[in-house]
Amino acid sequence: MSVDQHGASVPAARATARRVLPPPVTGQELVLVGVIALLWILLGIFTPAFLTAGSIRPLLVSVAPIALIGVGMTFIIITAGIDVSVGGAIMLCAVVTAKSLVDLDLALPLAIGLSIGLGLLLGLLNGVLIAYGRVHAIIITFGTANVFQFLALRVFGSSTVNGIPGTFDVFGRGEAGRTFGIPHSFLITVVIVAVAWWYLRHTSGGRNLFAIGGNAQAARLAGIAVQPRILAAYALTGALVGLAACFFIAAGTSTLDQAVGSGRELAVIAAVVIGGTSILGGRGSVIGTLLGAILVQTVTSGVTQIGWPSQLANLFVGLFIIIAVGTDLLRQRARKAS
Amino acid sequence: MTVTSNSTAPPSGAPAEAPRERRGLFSRGLEALLTQRVALLVVLIVLLLIVMSILDAAGLLSGSFNSDYLAAALISAVPLAMLGLAQLMVILSGRGGIDLSVGSMVSLTGVVFGYAYGLWGWSLIAALILAVVVGGVCGAVNGVLVAYIGFPPLIATLATYYAYRSLALVVSDQKPVNSPVIRDFYSAAKSVEIPLVGGSLPLVPLGIFTFLIPTIVVVWLLLNKTTFGRRLYALGTNNVAATWSGINVNPNRLAVYVASGVISGLVAVVTVAQFASARPDAGTSGNGMALPAITIAVLGGVAITGGIGRVAGIVLSTLLIVWINASILLTLPGNDGTRFQLLALGAVLIFASLLNGLTKRIYGGI
Repeated sequence: MSVDQHGASVPAARATARRVLPPPVTGQELVLVGVIALLWILLGIFTPAFLTAGSIRPLLVSVAPIALIGVGMTFIIITAGIDVSVGGAIMLCAVVTAKSLVDLDLALPLAIGLSIGLGLLLGLLNGVLIAYGRVHAIIITFGTANVFQFLALRVFGSSTVNGIPGTFDVFGRGEAGRTFGIPHSFLITVVIVAVAWWYLRHTSGGRNLFAIGGNAQAARLAGIAVQPRILAAYALTGALVGLAACFFIAAGTSTLDQAVGSGRELAVIAAVVIGGTSILGGRGSVIGTLLGAILVQTVTSGVTQIGWPSQLANLFVGLFIIIAVGTDLLRQRARKAS
Repeated sequence: MTVTSNSTAPPSGAPAEAPRERRGLFSRGLEALLTQRVALLVVLIVLLLIVMSILDAAGLLSGSFNSDYLAAALISAVPLAMLGLAQLMVILSGRGGIDLSVGSMVSLTGVVFGYAYGLWGWSLIAALILAVVVGGVCGAVNGVLVAYIGFPPLIATLATYYAYRSLALVVSDQKPVNSPVIRDFYSAAKSVEIPLVGGSLPLVPLGIFTFLIPTIVVVWLLLNKTTFGRRLYALGTNNVAATWSGINVNPNRLAVYVASGVISGLVAVVTVAQFASARPDAGTSGNGMALPAITIAVLGGVAITGGIGRVAGIVLSTLLIVWINASILLTLPGNDGTRFQLLALGAVLIFASLLNGLTKRIYGGI
């Protein structure tokens, strides 16, 4: 009763905004928070070491790059695209940056700039091919993934890059990489997630992305510049891959091996999908992606801490994808039927 | 090349074709090459063989490029072409059809086959049937998720890719399954003389006859000579129209994913023979098997939107990919060669999909 009276007193503009915009936090995100909390409590009971700073901090460090790239991937998937080349792009950015750190001893801003710039370039390549070549995103990015991997392996030369200086310690696992006990890489990721959330929800540019994913043809007729927007989504993902590559270098020791980035595209896509973004486009949120990344990494580190074989983690990630997408599909079907 | 363009040229003198007659031979040849994917692939294969023969004659290769080498390279065509055919059927079925999980299914069924044949002492036939059944069940999970619950195929098969790969590693404790029986099974991957005409021709890997050709024939018959095949093209072209014309779309869509699983089970047996051990990462190590299979399908002229694609395209594009890879190894020996194979696969995939898009825009179809 009192709620109704309150609702009536809200100015018309805000009421309209409330009708048009989805709720700030979706039901799926609340469920995810619940699932993560439950997992953390269960893991805390079974392995007392889990709920300690020594275990949570590395978890947050490993969440950061996945969630960061996940922000870009969310933009792409909202436009009904996909990018499976991020694994190869991470590898290329990481090895080029690591090599320049070793050979040229770059300063921190230069190294970050180099990595982001290279990532942006790779993202632009994907974006141009997809937006203007008008070919299916998964096919093109499968192709560019191979090309990026090839280039990265060429740069690697030998099997590892050794003796990387501690330039990136500010993003790392050590004392230098923390403020108030929270890893910097995770803080940066949270800030970027917050900005992206605001952009997607409250700017016309963000709403245009949803329109493109919902119906590209209708979006074009409504006067949205569809191709440049799609290009920008892939370019953004590329730039975030560049930053994430710095996190990957920092998270390791002073060596970088050829396994960097391998299979990460699937972890990122899993995080986005578990976070409630529709793979068909037109619906999604970056907060969900952050929660999805936390869930995926919790499962990964939890499985090993309990002492199960680490490969079992992928089985759970697969099951989580099926559960998250499946409940969403069944809910939609129930809504349509009623 | 001229034969190809002549054979597809419109009959001269027909009044309805008059505007087309004014175009030159080059323009008509180009249209034939772009719209007839099989013709383009034949031309590319011939070009590759000519270029490599010239390089060979000039002494620029690290080994000799001859029919024996080309025939031996076919050993890697067996799994690729079979999985390419699996992707053909899945992509044909439309609605974003794709199967990312084939590599994981190969790993998982390979391990199961290894246990049954190598350790539990099952007969070869029984173990083969078990592999096919396990593959079919894995494919059925994909199919039920996609056809009945409405999962986008990309997500359903991504999830099962994770799950099956994980199961294969956990079940086998990350160790390849080995036993004397499996090591002897390597003989199934040996090269043999073609019967009757054999003597003068190079030895051909046995798997071509025991696995690949039967699969090609069965898939070709399924697609071209059965109502199932026609229904598949129909629901891939337009799912709604297919539904309204009385096709029960869900069981048909389920069937292609089961078929993909069954073929993966057969490929698992082939790879166990090739490696002489059942490796739990056989289908997922490196880039896995899904990517090359999808590349072959796209290069073979399969439209990613469904409803368009032919068996002949798959077979020819496999030949092209396999021989390109073999040629790269001769041109650039060692580590460089395998890296350039990555580049070649990626470049060919991008080129093929751009070409498919271009052809669709200019001529309205592949």
